[in-house]
Amino acid sequence: MPPVIALPTLQNNDTPPARSTCALAACGPGSRATVVDIECSADEACRLRALGLCEGISVNVIDSRHAMLLEVRGTRLALGSAIAAGITVRPQSAQA
Amino acid sequence: MTSLQTPLTSDPSRGTRGHGHSGTPGDKVTLRVAIIGNPNTGKTTLFNALTGLRQRVGNFAGVTVERVEGSFRGPDGQHVTVLDLPGSYSLSAGSPDEQIALDVLLGRDKDRWRPDVVLVVMDAVHIDRNLFLASQVIELGVPVVVALNQFDVAEIEGVAIDVPELIHELGVPVVPTIAKRSEGIEPLKRALFIAASLPAPSRRFDLPEAADEALAPLRDCLIADGLLPSAASMEALRLLGSSKTDAHLKGVPGLAAALAASSDALRAAGFTPARFESEVRYRWIGEVTGRTVARRVNSGRSLSDRIDAIALHRVYGPMLFLLVMVLVFQSVFSWATPLMDAIETVIGAAGRTVGALLPAGDLRSLVVDGVFGGVGSVLVFLPQIAILFTAIGVLEHSGYMSRAAYLMDRVMRRVGLHGKSFIPMLSGYACAVPGIMATRTIEDPKDRLATIMVVPLMSCSARLPVYTLLIGAFVPPISLIPGVSLQGMTMLVMYLLGTFVALGIAAIFKRTLLKGPVRPMILELPPFRWPSPRSLAISVAQRCQLFLRRAGTVILALSIVLWALATYPKDQVDTSLPIAAQQERQLEHSILGHIGHGIEPFVRPLGYDWKIGVSIAASFAAREVFVSTMGTIYGVGDRGGDDSALQTQLRQERNAVTGKPAYTPLIAVGLMVFYVFALMCMSTIAVTVREAGGGRVGWSWAALQFGYMLGLAYGSAWLVYAGGKALGFGG
Repeated sequence: MPPVIALPTLQNNDTPPARSTCALAACGPGSRATVVDIECSADEACRLRALGLCEGISVNVIDSRHAMLLEVRGTRLALGSAIAAGITVRPQSAQA
Repeated sequence: MTSLQTPLTSDPSRGTRGHGHSGTPGDKVTLRVAIIGNPNTGKTTLFNALTGLRQRVGNFAGVTVERVEGSFRGPDGQHVTVLDLPGSYSLSAGSPDEQIALDVLLGRDKDRWRPDVVLVVMDAVHIDRNLFLASQVIELGVPVVVALNQFDVAEIEGVAIDVPELIHELGVPVVPTIAKRSEGIEPLKRALFIAASLPAPSRRFDLPEAADEALAPLRDCLIADGLLPSAASMEALRLLGSSKTDAHLKGVPGLAAALAASSDALRAAGFTPARFESEVRYRWIGEVTGRTVARRVNSGRSLSDRIDAIALHRVYGPMLFLLVMVLVFQSVFSWATPLMDAIETVIGAAGRTVGALLPAGDLRSLVVDGVFGGVGSVLVFLPQIAILFTAIGVLEHSGYMSRAAYLMDRVMRRVGLHGKSFIPMLSGYACAVPGIMATRTIEDPKDRLATIMVVPLMSCSARLPVYTLLIGAFVPPISLIPGVSLQGMTMLVMYLLGTFVALGIAAIFKRTLLKGPVRPMILELPPFRWPSPRSLAISVAQRCQLFLRRAGTVILALSIVLWALATYPKDQVDTSLPIAAQQERQLEHSILGHIGHGIEPFVRPLGYDWKIGVSIAASFAAREVFVSTMGTIYGVGDRGGDDSALQTQLRQERNAVTGKPAYTPLIAVGLMVFYVFALMCMSTIAVTVREAGGGRVGWSWAALQFGYMLGLAYGSAWLVYAGGKALGFGG
C-alpha cells in the first residue's frame, strides 16, 4: 500500500497580504506562490475563480516566457501576461 | 430496480414541460436528463456512451450554440431523452455557452426544456476544481446525479476517492464511470431513475450568519420573481461576483437595488462580495476533499507533463505543430485515395447498371449524367471529409488543440486577437459553420466578431473537392521527400494561404471597425489523453451524415437543375460532325451555354472559359457544387461514353478555336486561389447573420464578409493569372 496523504484544506482567505508580495507575472519558471489578490475585470476574475485560481491557492509556475503557464489544483492554465500582472502572489520558495 | 410510479411533473414549480423534443411523435418521454460538466471531463464521451447513435444535432432556440440531444431506453423500457449542455466551468454565465446551460437548468431557455434530473460529469482526477460547478448545480433544487468519470485515470495517478463518503457529503447519487470503455453506464442509468424520485438536493454548507443576513434582500427579490428558495440562494451568491445582469434576470424588478444593498451589507460585515462565492465554495470543497480524497505522493512527472515539455517547447513546440499540420493534410490527400477510387468505381458501375435498364434518351441521360454524375462527383469526397474530421477530432479529444491555441497566442496577439480565436479558426478547416459557432467561447464581442469575419477564410472541407479535382488534374505527383508529394504540399500551401490572409484581415478589422484592447488569454490545457475511438467515430459519423444529407438534397436538386439547363433546348446538330463536336455544340446551344457565355466576359480576365464561369456561378450556394457542375457538364459532353475520370477530361480538354489545352496549371492555381478566398456557402452566410447579431446588423456584417471575400478572390485570381502569364508561365 503506497503512503497516502489527505488533501490539505487549501483556503486561507483571512491572511492579509504579506510584505513579500509581487505580481504573478514576475515569478519565474519553477517557482511556487500563493495567490493573495486578483485585480482584473469582474468577468475575468469570475472565470479564474471557476477555473480554480482563487485567493489562497498555491500555484506552480511552469513557464513564463510570453504567457504564464501554471499548475493550479493539478490542472494546467495558460494566462496572458496582462492577467498575470494583475494577480498578486506571495512567493513560497524558488526551485530550480 | 427502480421504476417511476409517480409522475415527474407533480411539482408545479418545475415549470412548463414542452414536448417539442420528445423523439418520434407519440413516443412518451418518461425522463429528461441534462448533462453538464467542465470541459475535458469526458462529458461528450459519456453522452455518447449513454445514447450511442440515437442523437440529433440542432441549435438552441434563438442562438447557434449547438444542441445535441440523444435518447436511451431505461431498465424497464422507459424512454429517456438526454441533452448535452455546453461545457462550463461554472454557472457564472461568462460566455454565451454558460448562459445557455444556466437557462436550461433553470427551465428558462426558449425551448422551455426543463430537466427532471441533471447529470453532472466530474473529472475524478481534478475533483476539487470540478466540485465548484457541481455545488452550484446541486443548489438549483433539481435532482442531481454525479458521474465520477475517468475513474481509471484517477487510480493510475494515485487519487483514491471514497465514493460512499462523497455521496454522503454531496447528498446526491455518485457513480464512478469510465466513459471511454462504457464502464459504469448501467449503474449510472439506474441512478438517474433513482435520483428523480429522491428529495431535491440543496446547499451542503452554511454561510456565516452575518453573510446570510446580508444576502437576504437579494434572495427575497429572486424568490419573489419565482425562483425556488434553493436556486435563489445560488443565484444570489453567483450575482455578487458577476459584472452584468444576465439576460434571464433583466426583467426582475428591483434586482439592481437588491444586489447593491446585499453587496453593501456584505462589505459592512467584513467580506469582499466579488470573491465571496469562490471563498465559501472552495472552503467547503477543501473540507469535502479532505474527508473523501486521498492522494498518493507523486514526485515524478506524469507522461502528459513530459509530452508538454516538448509540445510547448520554445523550439520543438512550433516544429511539432507544423509537423502535425503537414501530417493532417498529407493524410487527407493521400490516405483517402484508395477509398475514393473505390467509391468512384462503385458509383460508375451503379450508373452504368441503372443506365442499361433505361431506354436510351433523355431519361437515361438524366439518371446517368445528372444524378449519378453530379451527386457522384461530390460523394467521392466523403473519405477525405471523414479523415479531416477524424484528424481534428483527435487533436481536440487528445488535448493538443489547446496547446496549439497556446502556441498560437503570440501570433494571434500580433493581429489583435488571442489564442482562443485560434480554435474556431482551426475548426474552420473542417467547416466554417461549427467554426463560427465555436466563437461563442470568446467573451469579448469585438474579438468574437473579428474572428467570425475571418473564419470562412480557413479552407473548409467543401473546398477539398475543388482542390482535389484541380491538384489531381494539374499538379504532377512528384515525391519531394519520402511520404510528402508535391500534390500534398500544394494542398498545404492553399490552406496556409487562407490562414495567413485570415490573420491579416483580422488585424485590419481589429485596427479599424472593431478597434479595441486585446483581451488576455485564460485557457485550460487539459492533460493529454487517448481519444475514445467510439466517441470519435460517433462524431465523425454525425459530420459525414450531414455531408451526405446535403449531397442527397441540395446537391442532388442542383445537379438535376443543371442537367436540364445543359440539355435543353435541343439543337439540330450536324450529324456529320464528330460526336465530341456535336455534344459541344449542343452544350453551347443549351440554356447553361447561354448563361455561361453571359458570364464569360467577367471571368475571361482570370483565364476562365464559359464552362468554369457556369460552374462558379452554380457554386455560389455551396462550393462543392463546382465539382458536380463540372461533372454534369462533362457528363453531358462525354466523349463516346468513356468512363475516365473528370480529371483526365479536364487535362484533355482543348480550346475549340486554338486547339491548345483549355485548362493549364496556371488557370488551375488561379481557380484554387479564387476558391481559397470566395465565400460561396449559404449556410455560412446564414450563421454569420445570426452570430453577428441578427437583423439588419447581422445582415450588414454578412454582406461585408461576402463582399470583401469575393473582392479578394477575384483580385487574387487575376493577380495569379496575369502575373503568371507576365512571368512566362503560360496561360
